[in-house]
Amino acid sequence: ENKETNKRMKESIPPNTLKKITFPTSRERHDPDMASAVAAIRTLLEFLKRDKGETILGLRESLMSATDCLTGVDSSVAVSSGGELFLRFISLTSLEHQDLSRCKKVMEERGELFLEKISMSRTKVAKLCHTFIKDGAKILTHSYSRVVLRVLEKAAAEKKRFSVYVTESQPDAAGQHMAEALRKLNVPVTVVLDAAVGYVLEKVDLVIVGAEGVVESGGIINKIGTYQMALCSKAHNKPFYVVAESFKFVRLYPLNQQDVPEKFKYKADTLKTAKNLSEEHPIIDYTPPSLITLLFTDLGVLTPSAVSDELIKLYL
Amino acid sequence: MPGPYKETDLTERVEAFLSDLKRGGTGAGPLRGSAETARETTALLRKITAQARWGSAGDLMEIIRKEGRRMTAAQPSETTVGNMIRRVLKIIREEYARSRGSSEEADQESLHKLLTSGGLSEENFRQHFPPLKANVIEAINELLTELEGTTDNIAMQALEHIHSNEVIMTIGRSRTVEAFLKDAARKRKFHVIVAECAPFCQGHEMATNLSKAGIETTVITDAAIFAVMSRVNKVIIGTQTVLANGGLRAINGTHTLALAAKHHSTPLIVCAPMFKLSPQVRDYSKVRILSKVNVHCPVFDYVPPELITLFISNIGGHAPSYIYRLMSELYHPEDHEL
Repeated sequence: ENKETNKRMKESIPPNTLKKITFPTSRERHDPDMASAVAAIRTLLEFLKRDKGETILGLRESLMSATDCLTGVDSSVAVSSGGELFLRFISLTSLEHQDLSRCKKVMEERGELFLEKISMSRTKVAKLCHTFIKDGAKILTHSYSRVVLRVLEKAAAEKKRFSVYVTESQPDAAGQHMAEALRKLNVPVTVVLDAAVGYVLEKVDLVIVGAEGVVESGGIINKIGTYQMALCSKAHNKPFYVVAESFKFVRLYPLNQQDVPEKFKYKADTLKTAKNLSEEHPIIDYTPPSLITLLFTDLGVLTPSAVSDELIKLYL
Repeated sequence: MPGPYKETDLTERVEAFLSDLKRGGTGAGPLRGSAETARETTALLRKITAQARWGSAGDLMEIIRKEGRRMTAAQPSETTVGNMIRRVLKIIREEYARSRGSSEEADQESLHKLLTSGGLSEENFRQHFPPLKANVIEAINELLTELEGTTDNIAMQALEHIHSNEVIMTIGRSRTVEAFLKDAARKRKFHVIVAECAPFCQGHEMATNLSKAGIETTVITDAAIFAVMSRVNKVIIGTQTVLANGGLRAINGTHTLALAAKHHSTPLIVCAPMFKLSPQVRDYSKVRILSKVNVHCPVFDYVPPELITLFISNIGGHAPSYIYRLMSELYHPEDHEL
C-alpha cells in the first residue's frame, strides 16, 4: 500500500506550464520501508532540482503548491510536517546566500546530506530505546509502526527474550501486518482486539507506540486507539513510551481531540469524496503529554516538556 | 626526572581514591557525604589534567574517560563521581571550542542543526593548543569554587520556603537539608518531624543535630509516616541522585514518603545541589545489602517525577519538568555513556 501511495505522490505533481518537469520512476516505488515524510522530502528535493524558477520567492511558492499536491494524495500529519520542514530548510538556507544559483547548489548538497542523516534516524532511535526492554518483558504496542518494529528488531538482536501484544487496529487491521513481521523475527506475538487493551494491560510491563506526528506540547498524533491505550496505561501505572524520528515534530498545539485539523483526521480520498465528514470515522487521535512517560527520538531521550524546546530552536 | 615521579605519584593518588570509594560502599570505611566525594573527584581530575601526559584535548578526554570508567566501576552507587567526570569533559569540550573560535552550541544535536549543517562534522579534538591546559585547569578551579558554595547557596533560599509555625517532615539524614533547616531557624520558629529511616536509623543523628540548633524536633518510625502526614505542611528531603527525567534515587523510604505527601496534597521539596544531577533516566540497579537473615533490603528508592513539587538547587528553584534542560547545560550528550 505504501508503494502505491509513494508512486501516486510522485505522479500527482502536475507538469507546470512554466517549467517542464517530468518525474522518472523513482526508487521510492521499491521501498515500502521509507517513512512517508522522508518520501515527501525526497520528492520535494527532486522538484527543487528540476525547478527552473528565477527567484527564491517563486521557488517557495512552487514548493508550497507541490506540498499541497502531496498532501492531496496522502493526508497524514507526517507528510505535512515533512513538507513544512523542507520549506523551513529552504528559508534557512536562502538567508545565507543571496545569489540564487549558488543558493540552489548549497540547497541540493544540504538536502542530500539531510536525507542521509534522517535515513539513519530510525537506527539511532532503536539504539536508545532497546535498553529499556528488559529480559522477559511483555510489551504492548498499537497498530503497525516501522520504528517500533526496528526497536524490537534491535532488542531481539541483543538476545533479549520478550513477548509482544499487538492490537488489531481496525479499520485497516494493520496490527496483523505488525504481527506477521514480528513472527518473522521469532518473537512470540499475540494479536488482541482493540477493545481488549484494558484487559491485557495487567499482564504487560511497558507500552511502546510510534507516532505520526509529535506536537508542540509534547503530545502525539497517532493511529486511532492510541489515546485509549495511553489512558489505560496511566490507570494501570505502566510506562507509556513513544518512539518517533525528529522530522515528525509538527507545529500544532491541539488542546483536545476537536482541535486536530480535519485534514489530518481522514484519509485523502475520504476528504475529497465524503459528503458529510461528521459521519466518517477519524483515523487518528491526539494523546496529551501528561499520559506519555518518555519520547525516544534521534535527538535523544526526551521528556514531553523537552519537545517544545526543540521546536522553538528550529522555528523561531 | 620530574616526569616519571609525577606519574607514579598520580597513580598512587588514583589508587588511593579508588580504594576509598570501594570501602565507603561496604560501610567499613568512613561514611563520606556526596559533596566531599564530588570535591575529591574534581581535585583528582585537576591533578590528572596537570600531571598526566597528553598532547591534544582528545587525548586528555580519553585519559579522563578511562579513569572515570574505573572510578564508576569501583562504586556504582556513588553517581557523583560520574557526574563530575562528565562536567569536566564538558569543560574540556568548551575550552577546546573556545580556543578554536567556534561556538559551543555548534555540536548540540537539534532539528535546526540537522537542517543547516554543511558537512558531516566529525570533531575529533586533535588540534593542539598550548593555553588549553591552563584554561582547563582554571575552569576546573571555578567548578571547585562552585562545589564549595553549594550547601550555602541552597541554605540561603530557606527563608523563602519555610514560614513560622510550620510543621516540616524529613527523612533520614541529609547534610543539605540540615543546613537548609538550620538557616531558616535563625529567623523563624517551626517544628520538624524526622522519620528515622531504618535500618541505619540516620534520622536519629539528624534529629540530634537539629535540636542542638534549637529546632523543636520529633522522631517517628517509618511506619508512622502516613499517619502523621495530615499534620504536616511541607516535606523537605535530600536525595542521592537526581535522574534525567526529574525522578529521584533517594534513601529507602522516600517513595513511601512521597506517596503519602501526594495523597495529602502536601508539597514535596527536594534540596539537591547540581552535582547530583545524573544523565541516567530510569533506575535500574537497586543496590542490595544482604543481612544474616537473607533479607533483600534495598538501599535506594526510585521516586517518579510526578510526586515531586520543587527542586531547590544551588542555582535556584526548578520544576521537575525543567531538569532535562539543566542536564543539557551541564553535560554533553556524547558523555552520557562514559
